[in-house]
Amino acid sequence: MADTTQMLKGILDGCLLAIIKEGEIYGYELAAKLESYGFHSFSEGTIYPLLLRMQKEGLVSTTLRKSTAGPKRKYYSLTEKGEQELGQFITRWEQVSSSVNNVLDKRGK
Amino acid sequence: MVSKQAEQFLTELRFYLISKGKNDQEINEITEELEVHLMEAEAEGKDVSHITGKSPKQYMKSIGESMQTDYRQMAGMVPMFILLLAAYFSLGPAIEGKFSISEGTIWLALITGAAGILIYGLLLLKVLPKFFHSKWSYVLLVGTSMAVTGLFVALMLWYKTQGFELIYVASPAENNWIIVLCAAIFIGSAIYSKTWFTIVIPLFLSLGPIASTVIPEEVNNDPFYVTVTVLVFAAAAALAIAIFLLQRKKKKSNTRV
Repeated sequence: MADTTQMLKGILDGCLLAIIKEGEIYGYELAAKLESYGFHSFSEGTIYPLLLRMQKEGLVSTTLRKSTAGPKRKYYSLTEKGEQELGQFITRWEQVSSSVNNVLDKRGK
Repeated sequence: MVSKQAEQFLTELRFYLISKGKNDQEINEITEELEVHLMEAEAEGKDVSHITGKSPKQYMKSIGESMQTDYRQMAGMVPMFILLLAAYFSLGPAIEGKFSISEGTIWLALITGAAGILIYGLLLLKVLPKFFHSKWSYVLLVGTSMAVTGLFVALMLWYKTQGFELIYVASPAENNWIIVLCAAIFIGSAIYSKTWFTIVIPLFLSLGPIASTVIPEEVNNDPFYVTVTVLVFAAAAALAIAIFLLQRKKKKSNTRV
C-alpha cells in the first residue's frame, strides 16, 4: 500500500490537463508545477509518456518555441476535446473523492 | 549542454525507439523535449534519475509504448535495404570491371546480406549505444567490420571454388553504368535516411577495387572510362558528404538557438 504511484495512475492525467488549462506550458515547468502542488512520489519523466498519449488522443496541442538556451521548448495547450475531458475528470473525481471520504469518515466514527 | 550521463541516456533512448520502428520525427521530438528537461534539471543540480526513476529501461519502454509504430516508414526501409545490399555487392566487381551474375551470386548475396544485417543491426541498436562514450565503441566497430569482412571473403573464396555458370557478364560500358547506378543508390538512400554512412561505407569499400584498377599489371579494357567514372563517383560522394555535414551543422545550430 505504500506505493502511491499505482493510486495516482489516471489521476495524474486529469491534473496535467488542469495545469495546462491555466496557460501554455512546457514539460519542465509542468513537472515543477506538479511538484509544487505536492506530487513528490514519482519521477519527473513520468509526465512525458502521458503527454505523448494525450497529444495522440488530441487532448493537447503543441507548439515549438525558441528558448534562451538549448533546443526549442515544446509548449502544450488544451484543445476543445481536452477541455471536455477535463470537465469529465472533475465530475468523476468529485464522485470518487466524496465516496472515499464518506467511507473513511464513517469508519472514523 | 547536458552531462555525459544524460547524453548517454538520450542516445540509448533514441536507438531503442529506432529499433522499435517509431517515426523518426516523433523520435526527434521526444528526445529534444527530454533534452530540454534534462538541461534545466541538471542546471538545478538534479541528475538523470530524476527523469527516469529507478529503471531507465522501464522508462524507455513506457515512452515507446506511448508512441505509435510507424509501419509505413518501416515498409519504406525494406526496398531501400534491398537496393543498398545489391549496390554494395555490385560496386566492387563493377569498379574492377568484372561484374557478372550467376546462380551462386544470389545465394551469396542472401547469406551475407542476412548475416550482415543481423550482425550490424545488433551492434548498432543493442551494443553500441551502451558503449557510446567509451573508446570501446571504436574497437567494437572495427572488430565487427573485420569479422564481417572476413566472413565475406571466406564466402567469396567458397564461391569461386564452386564454379557457378555465369548467366550475365557486363561489358566495360555496362560496368560503368552499374557504378553510376550504385552511386545513385548510395546517395539516394543517404538522402532518404538522412544519414551519411551509406556514402562513407561504400567509399571505404571501393578503395580496394579502385586501387586494383588504378594500379593494374595489365591495363584494363578501357582505363580511361574506368578512371572517369571512379572520379565522378568520388566527386559525387564527396559533394554529398559535404552537403550532409553542412545540413547537420545547420540543423544543430537551429536547435541550439
